[in-house]
Amino acid sequence: MLSQDEYSDQYNSSESAATGDDDDEYTGRPSLPSVHLRVKPAPPQKPNAGDSTSFDPSSTVKGDSISRVFGRAEFSYLMLKPDHTSRPLWINPLDGRIILESYSPLAEQAQDFLVTIAEPVSRPTHIHEYKLTPYSLYAAVSVGLETNDIISVLNRLSKVAVPQNIIDFINNCTVSYGKVKLVLKYNRYFVESPQADTLQMLLKDPEIGPLRIEGDDYNATSTTIVEGLVREKAPSMGELTIPGTNKGSNSSAVAGGQAEGDRQHQSVEDLFTSVVGLDREDDDDMDAVHSFEIAHESVEPVKKRCQEIDYPVLEEYDFRNDTRNPNLDIDLKPSTQIRPYQEKSLSKMFGNGRARSGIIVLPCGAGKTLVGITAACTIKKSVIVLCTSSVSVMQWRQQFLQWCTIQPENIAVFTSENKEKFRNEAGLVVSTYSMVANTRNRSHESQKMMDFLTSREWGFVILDEVHVVPAAMFRRVVTTIAAHAKLGLTATLVREDDKIDDLNFLIGPKLYEANWMDLANKGHIANVQCAEVWCPMTTEFYNEYLHETPRKRRLLYIMNPKKFQACQFLINYHEKRGDKIIVFSDNVYALQAYAQKLKKFFIYGGTPQGERMNILQNFQLNPEVNTIFLSKVGDTSIDLPEATCLIQISSHYGSRRQEAQRLGRILRAKRRNDEGFNAFFYSLVSKDTQEMYYSTKRQAFLVDQGYAFKVITHLQGMENLPDLAYATVGERRELLQSVLLQNEEAAGIENGDDAENFVGRGGGYVKSIKKAKRTMGSLSSLAGGDDMAYVEYNKSKNKEKTRNPLIKKLYYSKK
Amino acid sequence: MSVPKFRTSINDFLEGLPETVLIRLFYSPATCLAIFRLLPAMAQLFIMAMLFNDKPVAATDLNLWVQEGSTSKQYDALEKLRGMHLVKQSQGMLTLQKTFRAGLRNALSGGDHNNSFGIPCDTEDKHKVDIEFLDEHANNQWELILHFMVGTDTGKIPNNGVLSLLRHSGLMEGSTPANMRITNAGFQFLLQDVNAQIWTLLLQYLNMSEDLHMDAVEVLHFLFMLGSLELGQDYSLAALSPTQKIMLDDLRDYGIVYQRKSSSRRFYPTRLATTLTSDTGALLTASASMDSAIAQKERDTGFVILETNFKVYAYTDSPLQIAVLNLFVHLRSRFANMVTGQISRESVRKALSNGITADQIVTYLTVHAHPQMRKSTPLLPPTVVDQIRLWQLEMERMKAVEGYLYSDFSSKSEYDTIAGYARDLGVMTWEKPNKRMFFVSKEGNQQIVDFVRRKVHSGA
Repeated sequence: MLSQDEYSDQYNSSESAATGDDDDEYTGRPSLPSVHLRVKPAPPQKPNAGDSTSFDPSSTVKGDSISRVFGRAEFSYLMLKPDHTSRPLWINPLDGRIILESYSPLAEQAQDFLVTIAEPVSRPTHIHEYKLTPYSLYAAVSVGLETNDIISVLNRLSKVAVPQNIIDFINNCTVSYGKVKLVLKYNRYFVESPQADTLQMLLKDPEIGPLRIEGDDYNATSTTIVEGLVREKAPSMGELTIPGTNKGSNSSAVAGGQAEGDRQHQSVEDLFTSVVGLDREDDDDMDAVHSFEIAHESVEPVKKRCQEIDYPVLEEYDFRNDTRNPNLDIDLKPSTQIRPYQEKSLSKMFGNGRARSGIIVLPCGAGKTLVGITAACTIKKSVIVLCTSSVSVMQWRQQFLQWCTIQPENIAVFTSENKEKFRNEAGLVVSTYSMVANTRNRSHESQKMMDFLTSREWGFVILDEVHVVPAAMFRRVVTTIAAHAKLGLTATLVREDDKIDDLNFLIGPKLYEANWMDLANKGHIANVQCAEVWCPMTTEFYNEYLHETPRKRRLLYIMNPKKFQACQFLINYHEKRGDKIIVFSDNVYALQAYAQKLKKFFIYGGTPQGERMNILQNFQLNPEVNTIFLSKVGDTSIDLPEATCLIQISSHYGSRRQEAQRLGRILRAKRRNDEGFNAFFYSLVSKDTQEMYYSTKRQAFLVDQGYAFKVITHLQGMENLPDLAYATVGERRELLQSVLLQNEEAAGIENGDDAENFVGRGGGYVKSIKKAKRTMGSLSSLAGGDDMAYVEYNKSKNKEKTRNPLIKKLYYSKK
Repeated sequence: MSVPKFRTSINDFLEGLPETVLIRLFYSPATCLAIFRLLPAMAQLFIMAMLFNDKPVAATDLNLWVQEGSTSKQYDALEKLRGMHLVKQSQGMLTLQKTFRAGLRNALSGGDHNNSFGIPCDTEDKHKVDIEFLDEHANNQWELILHFMVGTDTGKIPNNGVLSLLRHSGLMEGSTPANMRITNAGFQFLLQDVNAQIWTLLLQYLNMSEDLHMDAVEVLHFLFMLGSLELGQDYSLAALSPTQKIMLDDLRDYGIVYQRKSSSRRFYPTRLATTLTSDTGALLTASASMDSAIAQKERDTGFVILETNFKVYAYTDSPLQIAVLNLFVHLRSRFANMVTGQISRESVRKALSNGITADQIVTYLTVHAHPQMRKSTPLLPPTVVDQIRLWQLEMERMKAVEGYLYSDFSSKSEYDTIAGYARDLGVMTWEKPNKRMFFVSKEGNQQIVDFVRRKVHSGA
């Protein structure tokens, strides 16, 4: 704790800072990434002589014994407001964390607000945590929140007065960001800002000033010219309706129950306004925006200069006033309804009647695709969709046809197998990142296709699974394709390498992030029981484990016979219940060993496309095929609504994202709305090995979303399972010997596959280029079977012999 | 459930006393009243029925006073009365113990002549203190002890009397104040409400007083008297025996009474004293007990929220509650009315190595669960509870065996012979043949030593 002197010292300095005027508006503002929260244990209130509630440092700084435990995180000097019980949140002045009581009557509104201005950290049942970051505030500003709104709403929701350094932080982050927008309308570029002085400042800039052009007024009635700036009404949602929403369908029949619900909602709304007390109506100034026009060719210099002077421009696409780009005939089918949270995420995107660029985060299975399609139907311009693999290219195409009215001839697919163009003026292209980002030699055909893509102006680009793509590739995609609005979609905006921040600037801020538990409770995604099964290592295996190299250790704990038995037992148990099971293994050796021993189908990177499709179809339709084994290729984008149970036997070290993505495979379970339905997610870990450590790390993300992992130490009845594998010592020895004979490569994780071959690493990226370069070959090479990473597997003479006879039959019979 | 463990344990203590001592106790009306108050309701009913009735009562008559189906309660009550020698039974007739009857009658009808209810001072105290001051004083003294137990560094150390009592009672161990650490029993103690804590300490005090040849009767008289004193009133030392005057010094350290200085001729009981035998309900801590005693209204005592992600949010501003949480939670930040923290493997292991058990942690979290938590069943997230238990199991996997290590054998055959012998005896706990080392248990060592000697002799 600070001594009295130090304390008053700090206190005084902060007071002067608090009372200091913010006259130096444009100078000395730190740039966004360098804004850090500073510790300032200063009270927000000013001492007031003669006031009974006046602040007295000596009385509020409890010199109590326990304070020192908290060190700098001791905030009890922040005085509670008298009515703090009706306010739902605390703010941590040290790191900008916001703690929210989710059972407060105001919680729902508070959550909406917080998810806009802060990053959700954890959202379990009772207490949620959010964190204010420069990026989250940037996102808040870009969806139209004003600095003062943020501070005042925060203040009204908070149990304590918002600490001064948080106010400073918010000011610093928001003062320059999102103030300047670059808007394309009537085919002319305008630099727009709600604050005239910001524009005046820009015009005085030696580089930007001369670029301004004086055009004729395009609409003299609604605009006025003040000091050389065009002033007009701020854009608003106006008549824009997002297709598929209630407002759009204008349903008149409202059931009584719903009206009752609405009324209740209304009363909460009242409560909210009475506490929050925001009255936006009197904000007259905000309703006008100012702008000046710049020429088409000055766009790049202006953007660059604005970035340099810390006024990065937000790009908005006024697609309703874009007459240069032809409209695309696309609309949602009348039968298509979108869910409330999808509507909410879209309303953030189209909040002012224009399209903002940004990222929408929804759990797997919560309908990200439909959000993208609805956005495309709202903008109605040429669209390009980029996804991670050729499988998901086909899925996107199929989804577009399913949900909206676009004609099949207007959809073009651009993959290594398919190079189509659409014939009309406007259309839809679906492709993969690697196809578009490739900078090496292309085949003549794909070069022609690329020329087609780069020569056009696109209204809208949808970037699927943005979390897997490295920044360098994104930059190339974003620069090669001229699109007015960009929408990134993902389920897990976490990356182990923390490169997520790059996405903020390349695509745009995070517009919306859904609450997993909330969606599960409302039945939009399946309820999942998560369990971690501890499998003890057998003595022989553990002995070897202790003496092996780290890579070999991996193989030993994956091939642990007890784990195998647990896997066998769980498959047996769930097949009897009628579940469809997916078993995941990152390790291909283990994948094959398990699958062959248990006589199940498996798919890995080396599996030819045709065989993959065949297996997946069998899994979906054939009642005899209830279990399949998947390697990393199944982590993302494979859509199997039949699956209700997941078993994970090996995984990519401590990757939180992989865990979440894999869980995502069962969230869209078809049967999720059956009463009492639970999907199951088992993670098998070998006890006392490194795996335990990774397992805890992996679960961190899901646990923060409110999922609870139950630890199972013993599977009841496993010993009595008939035909239990490796039940005798002899069998276990044999297994151990064969594991020990494997070289270290077998212990590695699978290199390179469709979905993940460019995850964050340069090496992986090069491989993906190689793949894109291939133009001819067998079916298996087209599916990635000849990729560099698989050379070893393919060379192996054992390969043909070890192939599962079932698969072989299936595969060759198809041929 | 309204009679917590501590009450029964003072009862147990009384039941354990010989009849003669008990009868001496009954001479004090204040003690009679206190004992009466400590009894279960059914026993109180029986006593009231017999109190002003000089004739014996037929044991069968009792059946008429209780509802059908309460036989077990009736039996328990009667057992208790007989155990404390309050009631004599002969030939199916029950008689109330004479001295007790007289004492309790005196207490109720105010015919007390031996000042067992204390003598209020008749002179004005120049340094008169008010109730607020007393509460503050009691609170500070009591929390000083508790803080010392949980190891928060307050810069103050309780007096030696308190320290030796803590050691004597097994709540803490360690010879100097600096190295004293809380024991398992000590943690259990912290989980009790304040009234229970005081009684636990006072019972230990009673045990200790016997060792110091203090008269248990006088000690008990004084304790029971304190329970009947009036808060805010000053009392004279005149009526106290020398033993009781010594006691006063100790009780002052606990915050049960207040004296301005040790030579002062008057003392004030604090709220800790006056609630000793009362039934104010289970109170959480000294400060909470103060709050609720002052406010005189029931308040919801749960304050801890435990989330599935192992985060803990505790609505409290009490340094003591925070200190208790700090025993097994990694505390993060503190606001005026709430602290946040995280249960981690390390934090739980720290607690476990201090002798706190997983069950105690779970019990603490259950007892103090926030009302919001009570809406869900099970109360605590089962995964977290399981995990805490698993962490404990993890700690218990290591087993220490005392014994001796044999190494540096000159030849393999020597090693094989001796190791073989140890193996045959079954005293070998560990061996590493390629390094020629093995370990035998303490018990088996002598035999191996003898064997080696014999070998050396025969070999030489």
